[in-house]
Parts: sequence; structure tokens; C-alpha cells
Amino acid sequence: MPRNLKITLAVLCVAVAIGLISLRGLHKRIENLSENTTSEEQERRELLKPAISTPTDVLVAAKIYWAAGPDSLAPQEVDLPLSADPATRGRQVIDTLIAKAPGPQQRTLPADAALLGFYILPDGTAVADFSDALASETPSGIESEQMAIDSIAHTLENNVPAVHRLKILIHGQEVETLAGHADLTGFFDLNPSAPAVVPAATFSSGSPVVPSRSVSESAVSKP
Amino acid sequence: MLFIMLRWSSMLRAAALSIAIAAIPFAATPVCAQQDQSQQPAQVAPPPQAPPATPLQQPAPNQTPAVSQPPARLSPVIVINASHGGTDNGARGPNGPVEKDVVLIFARMARSEFERQGYRVVMTRNDDSNPSYEDRAAVANAYRDAIFISFHVSSTGQIGTARAYSYPVSAPIAAANQTEVPVGPTGRPISLIPWETGQQSYVQASHRLADALQSTLALRFNGSPKVSAQFAVRELRSVAAPAIAVEVSSVSTEDPNSLLVMGAPLAFSIVRTVVALRPPGSSPNASLGPTGGK
Repeated sequence: MPRNLKITLAVLCVAVAIGLISLRGLHKRIENLSENTTSEEQERRELLKPAISTPTDVLVAAKIYWAAGPDSLAPQEVDLPLSADPATRGRQVIDTLIAKAPGPQQRTLPADAALLGFYILPDGTAVADFSDALASETPSGIESEQMAIDSIAHTLENNVPAVHRLKILIHGQEVETLAGHADLTGFFDLNPSAPAVVPAATFSSGSPVVPSRSVSESAVSKP
Repeated sequence: MLFIMLRWSSMLRAAALSIAIAAIPFAATPVCAQQDQSQQPAQVAPPPQAPPATPLQQPAPNQTPAVSQPPARLSPVIVINASHGGTDNGARGPNGPVEKDVVLIFARMARSEFERQGYRVVMTRNDDSNPSYEDRAAVANAYRDAIFISFHVSSTGQIGTARAYSYPVSAPIAAANQTEVPVGPTGRPISLIPWETGQQSYVQASHRLADALQSTLALRFNGSPKVSAQFAVRELRSVAAPAIAVEVSSVSTEDPNSLLVMGAPLAFSIVRTVVALRPPGSSPNASLGPTGGK
């Protein structure tokens, strides 16, 4: 066997050995990357976003509604410092709903979604303005969109009693649907048992755990 | 002189006929408030067909038809909506299924099954077009007696299940603000339905239809819920007829064929439910009629 061929074979053997040794480490790194579900947008937001805290914050067990199965929601109690101001309190619980989901299976809103604004009108109508990610990253489908809206509505219902209706905006605009199905042109009725300015409507059960909600027609604008 | 009189007489008859023809749409269309030009029936919809056969049109007992007649197309008109279409794919699965294509297959299966039972069927789309929500509703609203059925495929949920949805009750803000009720020529109040709340008069009928269908789906597709859900599905909002959306789970299935095989039993379940509630030729007020408001 010529000497050059021997050297080439030896180099190839060494290269294969190195490749085999490094393959295991490479596999582990790929697994770690796939497990890391935090997007750049989330990391940027966590760094830049100031924590919402007010002097009236009191530590309470807030009920946050996350997914409890493929088509149901269930409340989980989370100890949160919540403000006495209803608007700030609403923002705090929705931020928690987005950012503190126990796991990907329990998540009802996209991780990249952000609450851009939240305010409450004198008649008890809450206006929640979300970033584009809520519309673009919510899985398309009646069931998934219902879960997303119901999780927001039930979380507000149980933690902000002053809110009677919910209006969802996307980047400051009224949009026709969330992701192609859910009608966002109207209002969603909250706290039906509480006395409200707007007459509450009856509704039937929409999911095994929590009821679906009715909608109010928009009195402000129509498409 | 006689020629002039005959000429005037024929012109008057033509004018009377024109007025009569022009009056037909107003008599047959239930939704007439706030309906502008953009809300005319979609281009994809075929024009309304001849009126349904009446007993007077049946052949006499001693007459034998020369050829076998196709089944008479009786009311109600079934309006089948294949959701999405065109650039709107709807839900897209990792292994290929796209909602807009799957629902079109489901819609065509349902159309065949309905036509076999003798119903008149109209589809809001029968190709890769994407009519607007209002255009889809306009197809149903063009008929006096229609049932609107919309097909969807979810991107989440338990695979192999199906769920029926109807539109929920809206808070009656618009109704509370309406103080004057217009009166027709006969002295009876005219029930004008705002276009964007067209579904509100049919919420209960739609819910009955969705519940009846869901009980059938629960038996046919294991894991499906036993009761229907009420949710604000956009395309149902303006439909002035019993309207439901049926969503099958899901495009995330590994085998796209497992989704397509649901089409035949789904169509059969829907047709069986509609036949039970509104057999061909039945009256609109029998079980799925309007409630006249909330």
C-alpha cells in the first residue's frame, strides 16, 4: 500500500472518530434548542418592559384561566400583587395570562402576544388592545380562538369585577376576526350575574369547564 | 284610433308586468334594512331556481310520466359554505392538509347528500375563490327559507372529533334604541332586520339545529362533545336563517386521509339532522322558524 494512501486513510479515520465523538454533544445541543421556546420577542419584552406595580398593590390569589385540555379551560390560582385600580389590575392579570403560562400545553394566547393598552370606560366596558401577534399567531380555528377569548374574558371576570363588557382591539384597530373565525366587531359580555349598565344576555355552555359568552353588538362602529 | 288604443293597452300591460316582477324580490327577501350594493348575492352563487313543485304541478294519477323525473327541489334551500378559500388558507397542518381544500371536499359531499334527499342546494363557493363574509351571508339571505351550514377544520383539538356551533344572543342594544316600527300596506308592522344582526332572529332555531346535530356527531365521532357550543363565529352573524358552523378536528393529524374519511359520515349526520327537523317541503315555522327577535 502506498504511503500517501495510508496517510489519507489515517486522516479519514481520525475525522470519523472526531465526528462520532462530537455527534452526541451536537444532538444534545439541538434538543436544548428545541426545548427553549422563549422567542427573541419575549426576551426583549422581558428586558424592556417595566413591571406594573402601584402603591395599592396587594398580594392576592388571582384566578388565571389556562387550557385544561384540548377544548377546555380551568382556573389556576396564582399569587399576584394586584392593584386596587381596575384598569391596572386588568393589565396585570392579562400580562400574567400571557407570560406565566405553566407550560406550552396550557397556553391559550401566543407567547409573542403583548397587551399594548388596557382601559375601562365609565359604563364598565374594558378595551384591551393587543399586538399583532395575537391575531397572527393564534392557531386558526373556532375552537382555538374561542379558547383564547374565553381565557381573557374569564380571567378578567374573576379578577376585575368592575368590568362588564370586553372589546378586543388589535394594534389599536377594530378587526373583523381574531384569526379568521371569532367575531371581534362586537363586545363580549362579562360578569353576567353582576349589575351592569348594558343588559346581559343569557348564554349556553360552550365548553365542559366554563361557559361560552355572548356578544353585544357594537354601538360605536359597524363594518 | 283603434290601433292607438290597442297600443296603449299593450303598453299598460307591459308596465303592470314590470311592476309585478320588480316587486317579487321585496316580497321574497327577508332582510332589507341597511343592505347596500356590496351586499348583493355573491357572483359564485347560482341564480334562484324555479319555485318548488306544488301539488298542483304533480301529474294526475291516470297520467304516466314519459321519463323518470328528477326529485323535486323543495324548500328549505340549503346554503353550504366552504369557509376560507383563495389566499385565505385557514388552518394548515404540518403534513399537508389545508383547511380551505378539506372544507370544499366536505361541502361537495354534503351537497350530493342533500340533493339526493330532494333539497335545493346552493354553495357559497365551489372553487378556490374567497367571497367576503357579507357575500356568503347574502347568498343565504337571498332566499326566503334557507338553512346555512358552514364547514371548518380546526388546527387544534382532539383529532377525529367534530363540533357544531351557533351564534350567541347579542345584548339588545340596537333593538332597545329602535322606537318606531314601520307599518306595511296591510297595517301589520314590518320587521326590518339590520343586516349586521341578521342572525339574531334565528339564534334559537340555530341553537336547536346545532344541538340536534351535535347529538348525532357525538354518536358518530368518538370524543365529540354531546352539546353544541355557542360562539361568535363571524360568518354566521349576518345570516337571516338558521345557521350553524361545523368544525372538524384537525389539520394537525399525521395522516391527511384520516381527515378526509370523516367527510362522508359528517355529511350523512348533517343531512339526517336536517331531514329530521326540516324535511323537504316542510313549513319554515315547523321547527326552525324565526323567533322575531331575541
